[in-house]
Amino acid sequence: MAGQMATTKVPEVRDITRIERIGAHSHIRGLGLDDALEPRQVSQGMVGQLASRRAAGVILEMIKDGHIAGRAVLIAGQPGTGKTAIAMGIAQSLGPDTPFTALAGSEIFSLEMSKTEALSQAFRKAIGVRIKEETEIIEGEVVEIQIDRPATGTGAKVGKLTLKTTEMETIYDLGNKMIESLSKEKVQAGDVITIDKATGKISKLGRSFTRARDYDAMGAQTQFVQCPEGELQKRKEVVHTVSLHEIDVINSRTQGFLALFSGDTGEIKSEVREQINAKVSEWREEGKAEIIPGVLFIDEVHMLDMECFSFLNRALESDLSPVLIMATNRGITRIRGTNYQSPHGIPIDLLDRLLIIATSPYTEKETRQILKIRCEEEDVELSEEAHTVLTRIGLETSLRYAIQLISTAGLVCRKRRGTEVQVEDIKRVYSLFLDESRSSQYMKEYQDSFLFNEAQTTQMDTS
Amino acid sequence: MDATSKRILEYLTEVEEAAEDVLTNKQQIVDLDAKRNRNREALSALRNDIPDSEKVKVCFGNMFIKLPKSKTREMIQRDQEQLDKEINDLRKGLKAKVNHLQELQGKPELRGYSLSPLSADEIKAINSLLKR
Repeated sequence: MAGQMATTKVPEVRDITRIERIGAHSHIRGLGLDDALEPRQVSQGMVGQLASRRAAGVILEMIKDGHIAGRAVLIAGQPGTGKTAIAMGIAQSLGPDTPFTALAGSEIFSLEMSKTEALSQAFRKAIGVRIKEETEIIEGEVVEIQIDRPATGTGAKVGKLTLKTTEMETIYDLGNKMIESLSKEKVQAGDVITIDKATGKISKLGRSFTRARDYDAMGAQTQFVQCPEGELQKRKEVVHTVSLHEIDVINSRTQGFLALFSGDTGEIKSEVREQINAKVSEWREEGKAEIIPGVLFIDEVHMLDMECFSFLNRALESDLSPVLIMATNRGITRIRGTNYQSPHGIPIDLLDRLLIIATSPYTEKETRQILKIRCEEEDVELSEEAHTVLTRIGLETSLRYAIQLISTAGLVCRKRRGTEVQVEDIKRVYSLFLDESRSSQYMKEYQDSFLFNEAQTTQMDTS
Repeated sequence: MDATSKRILEYLTEVEEAAEDVLTNKQQIVDLDAKRNRNREALSALRNDIPDSEKVKVCFGNMFIKLPKSKTREMIQRDQEQLDKEINDLRKGLKAKVNHLQELQGKPELRGYSLSPLSADEIKAINSLLKR
């Protein structure tokens, strides 16, 4: 973004919210299925991959109904065939209430935490606990607020607050603290406020419609609301969803300021976890809590090693287990940490527990569609010919490379003050940036002049 | 009147009754809360404005009776507790009644989570996390 602004030097006023970084899968809004779970060809940012999207949709429905927990799904396919896109689609359509944790396979390797700790934290982040809070609030429109200061200037203030709803009106005596927080919130007659009975916290909901005429000069942020109905003292129920990991964290934190010095490694003791599991199941039996099994997504799952896989095997069997979705682009390869070959680099015993969804390469038409969607997402106008050229590039090299070219070509186009990306712009960036095959071609030609050159290492070592 | 229209009439009566029941319940909560607030106003007036020795005039129906202050306060407090309890009971019953009405009308039941609330201590612990 910043780069674009600098090259064009056009002082442009943009909305704050619009300056979001555009991620590779930011165009995905869901799985693009209709009510009967039939995939639409192009919908919600998804293109093609009909069979795998349908399969993902079936799993999604089961997750939503809470039918499956402790299951695992593997999305397998060649690079650039939309594996992560499908996982994102699942995440998007699950809604905000179902916890979704995404993790790359290599993220668990860290010096601060053991691999299994990182995995169990990820597992627990993906399990939500729904709890209910009940509070009594006083909600009403302020009719009058009257504060008496003592004549001496110091000492306790006293005051009266008159609140009303559409049906009743009453006077409250105000203590010192209440007066303070009322003046801090700048509450005046005509405001609609709520007072939390337990904590005394005051929040302003807006101004009453009936007082709208009194103040003609008003800030843009002033909201007008209806005078509340019914009784003044209401009961409010708030349902929160927290993850098991968050409950772990509050309970494992060393109390007080000692936490600053105790050198927290971020690991949580297994005793704490057990206690929390016990407490949560107690809550569940008392009807105080509900468990929502969420989704844990592990990308590049072939990066996990043998220990992690056996941990996963075990973790999937626990009764507090989320739905595990994994993605890999490997074929038959070595399992990390061993010398055994296995499909997808995953041990056979784990593979046996998985539901496997395969993705297949995109066709020309689909590639064209995806590029179009990405252009819209990145705010780049593409001419018809340029689009065709880009599609060809996408088919011959890779879809990712073609997508990279969109924003770079967009920049080149802006530089020459064009409005639409033409074939020349594409050609220019195509010559500026190498794709994977041209780059390796280059390597082969000039490998002798590179440093540390040990020719003919044919295979990439992944372990 | 033939059987069909009779059945329809019966059904409509039932729905109307259920709806009426919900409405009265709601109105009753409002009325009781109004009363509770008046009591609260009276209590604070007793506490702040009137010297302890004085007797106060209390209105019973259409008659004013002079009563000692402490006695009055006790009475109002008892009334207050009774009101709180009644309002609570009404609120509890309201959900079931609304669902009954929805069912009669062939509408889907209002979906809540039907969770019971956590205790104050538990909520305090959780809140320290929720209000990051």
